Parts: sequence; structure tokens; C-alpha cells
Amino acid sequence: MLDNNPRIIGDQRLLGVVPGKPGVGDRQEPAAEDKVMVFPHLLIRHAVAVLFVLLVVMLIALFFNAPLRELANPMVTPNPEKAPWYFAALQELLAHFHPLVAGVLVPGAIIMGLVALPYVDRNPSLDPRKRQIARAAFTVFMVLWIALTLIGFMFRGENWSWVWPWEEWHGEL
Amino acid sequence: MSEISRRSFLSAAWKVGFGLMAAAGAVTTLGLLKPQLAAGFAAIVRTIAPNEVPEAGVLEVPEARGYLVNVDGEEVLALSETCPHLGCRVPFIDENNRFECPCHGSKFTREGDYVEGPAPRGMDAYATEIVDGVIEIHTTEVTPGPPPGTERT
Amino acid sequence: MKTIERVRNSTIGRSFFRTPNRVTERDRAAGHWSNFLLHLYPVKVRKIELTFKYTAFLGVASIALFGSLLVSGIFLMFFYVPSPANAYGDIQAIQTEVIFGQYLRNVHRWSAHLMVLAVAAHMARVFYRGAYKPPKEVNWVIGVVLLVLTLLLSFTGYLLPWDQLAYWAVTVGTAMAAYVPLIGDQVQQLLLGGSTVGSATLLRFYVLHVAVLPVALIAVVTAHIWRWRKDSMLTMDADPGGADA
Repeated sequence: MLDNNPRIIGDQRLLGVVPGKPGVGDRQEPAAEDKVMVFPHLLIRHAVAVLFVLLVVMLIALFFNAPLRELANPMVTPNPEKAPWYFAALQELLAHFHPLVAGVLVPGAIIMGLVALPYVDRNPSLDPRKRQIARAAFTVFMVLWIALTLIGFMFRGENWSWVWPWEEWHGEL
Repeated sequence: MSEISRRSFLSAAWKVGFGLMAAAGAVTTLGLLKPQLAAGFAAIVRTIAPNEVPEAGVLEVPEARGYLVNVDGEEVLALSETCPHLGCRVPFIDENNRFECPCHGSKFTREGDYVEGPAPRGMDAYATEIVDGVIEIHTTEVTPGPPPGTERT
Repeated sequence: MKTIERVRNSTIGRSFFRTPNRVTERDRAAGHWSNFLLHLYPVKVRKIELTFKYTAFLGVASIALFGSLLVSGIFLMFFYVPSPANAYGDIQAIQTEVIFGQYLRNVHRWSAHLMVLAVAAHMARVFYRGAYKPPKEVNWVIGVVLLVLTLLLSFTGYLLPWDQLAYWAVTVGTAMAAYVPLIGDQVQQLLLGGSTVGSATLLRFYVLHVAVLPVALIAVVTAHIWRWRKDSMLTMDADPGGADA
């Protein structure tokens, strides 16, 4: 339908109004499952996250110095000798089991287990209540691994014997 | 022969070609990176006369990365100080009269036999020879230590 | 803003941006698609994915830490020679003589530890959200590869200061490789470049640490992000809301 007498606002003509979704500028609040534009909504959040992480790194680096022991000496093994903290759980296992088990089979099994996870757990549900077995198994694994890491990192002293971290501290970062 | 069409031959040929190239690359890489093993740190280390090795404790020989142990006044053992578990240097603890590894707590008798801990065997020993009345340690000839529960013969 | 707009609409600006006006969602989507870095992102995400609770931004944190490691690592390379005769002294010089050297080394060290933490936490968060389920199985596997690469980078970097901590941790770590059945001894010697930790080991770990592993990680993480975009578009297609831009 043509309007023979279009309204003129400034130098713009309004030719017609059509029904449909309003364009940019409406104030409708989208629901959780609604789609929103990545640019800018997600990008701005990512930018802030990056800034925050860099700030944390900057503060830690300003106040804590990275450790540097004495020069490497093949004739003297430090006592206790500690692996980096992310291998502390493995080192703790190495003190109890044959190295083939603790040093090769266990880490191999963990990596293979993680790789196989999406192909073993075929339950399609995302609802936490419907995947209690998977969640429980993963939680047990995580708690065990964190506990072993803490034991290896903090609770082991000379000759890998048990110490209390508030009495002797042997952790190295 | 007539079974193989020109198309399927060519299609197989480039795949085989890439396979051969990858194999050649892998062999070259391994060959390049494989270390040219120098024989030990100092192939033969001359030490002292057998009767000079103390009857208590052990004598460290840093050049050979090992210890000389006077077993019964006659026989002298040359033990490697590298832990058979994961390669830490095993110090001799005089108070306990045994070797104790600081890394994972393996323990060995003065003769290098397995006592306890995660090590799979006793301490390794070097071959020795007496030349002109002096013990020579052959650091390239290593005898693996005895399994747990057994003693070195 | 006017100036930026004018630059965007100039001949050169148009040749660069292709979509100079970002007024409607369609414009923004088009601009998004024509940008090399942004094309790793999806154009739209579900609103829930914007919340902190959903991801805790751990993936972004890992990338940010990796960026911090790249920059600080390149600076450190200017002052470090990977040989047993120089390495330790170079680290001491970085800490005492180079301006901002101690700070730079701290940034590198702490970013490395934090990155291991961030990657592990990212993995745990993805697990609890169930985000490894179809169609995202392959991206989970790529994530496992990234975890292994992160650990390898951290471990190879651990040797470089050539102090007691470094020397013995690597002695033990590589001795573990010797227990792998059949090929163990070969693997250990390949890593060490000899029978014990020495100058060949330091050089090998250095090359792995500054060239091989970072390049591998950048390649794999790019695939990881790209697949995240592809998978998120697939998930949205499956939703009743239908496909988007």
C-alpha cells in the first residue's frame, strides 16, 4: 500500500511501517538460551578476564621472586629431592609402587582415560542429577589426585619421610 | 595387471609416496637425534690399593660416580652411586651403616643389597680389575644389582 | 568516534575492513566473519555462556597466561645461553644486572604455574558442565593434548635455570621414561642426548621449550578454539531457535 503523502521529518521520508521483530535498540531482555552477539557481549567479558589475569600475574611477580637454588651439581642430590608440584602426586606414587606402575602405567592410564571419556560416557544428559555416576567417579579421581599432590608437595621431608608442613617446610615451586 | 586402472594406481601412488616420505623423515629424525654415546664419564678410573680401602664405611670415588666398599678385608666392591630406581645419587648414611636414597626412600645395605623402598633391585656394581696393585674401575661395564631378597654373589 | 568512522569509510579503510559500518547485527556479523582473529569466535552465543558461572573464563585465562609466557619468554631468550657453562650465570645476571630482569623471570615462572592450574581447572569445569558430550568429543580430546603439551612445556622449562632443583627433577623425570617397556632406554637416551643429564640434555630441552612445543601448542590451541566455534554453532542448530548468522 503506497502512501501518497509521505511524512517528512527533517529531510527523511517515512515510507511505511512493517510488522516484525524490532531492530537494534530495543530493550527486550534475552533469556538464558537466547542467542546474543559475541561482538561485543562476549568479547568485552573476555577482554576483562584477560586484564584481570594479567593483573594477578603482575602482582604476584612484583611481590614474590622465582626460586633459584645453587648451581647444578651431579655429585650432590638435594635431600629431599622434589619434582615440580604438578608431578608431586606421581612422585608420591613412585615411593610406593614399582616405577613401571607409578611412572608409566598410572599416567598412561590417566591420559588414555581422559581421551576415552567422551566415548565411554554415552549418557547424553547435561542434567547434573542424571549423571551422578560420572560426576562421582571424576570427583573421586580429582580428590585423590589433589590429596596425593598435597602429600608429595608439603608432607614429605628428608628421605621422603612424613613431615608436618607447619613444622618443616620442603615444598618448592 | 589389467585389474589396476590408471586412476586407482595414481591414487594409491601418491599416498604411498607420502607414506615413504614420512618414513624417511622419521628415520632421519631418529638418526639425527640419537645420541652418540660416549663410553662412560671416564672409561677407566684408577683408584687405590685394595688394602687401603677402609673396612668400615665406604670410600667415595667422584671420578667414577661410585663407591669402593671393603666387604671382608679381601674383596672390594665398586658400587655405582646412581640409584637403580630413578637415578638419584645415593649417599651412605654412617649412623645407619647403609645407603639411603633421598628421592624416594630406597635403602640398601653397605654391600648394596636391597633392603626396602621402591627400587626394583640392589645397587649396580662396576667391574673392577687390579692392575699393578691398584684397583681400576671400569665405569662402562655395569652389573645390575641383585633382585630384592637376594645378595650379591 | 567521528574520525574513526571517517578512516573506516576511506578507500584504504574500506579495503581493510570490508564492512565499515557496524550498525545492525547483520553488519556486525559480516565484520566479524571478515576479521581473521574474530573468525575463531562464533558470531552468536547463548546468553548463558556469558555468565561467570558457566565457564569461569578459565579457557580465556589459560590463553592469557600463555600470551604472558610467550612475551616474557621471548625477552628472557635475549639474555640466556643454553649451555651448562653459561645457563646458571645468565639466570643470575638476569636477576641482578638486567633491568626488570627479576620481574620478567618472576612473570614467566608464576605464569607457568598458573597456566597449569588454569588448564586443569578449565578441564574440570568442562567436565562438570558435560561439555565433552557430542558433538564436542573431539574438542575434549584436543584439550587433553593441550594439557599434555602444557605439562611438557613446563617440565622442559624447569631444567633451563640449571640449578639443583632443575637438575635432579629432570634426572628423576627422565629416569621414569626408562621404565617404558621395550623402548624405554631408547626414549630416555633420546631425551637426554646421552646417558646422564648434561649439556646435550640442556640444549635439547631448550629447543623443545622455545621452538617445538610452543609452535605445537599454538597450532593445537587454534584448532581448539576454531572447533569450539564450529561445535557451538552445531549445538545451536540443534536448538529449536534455529541457525544463526
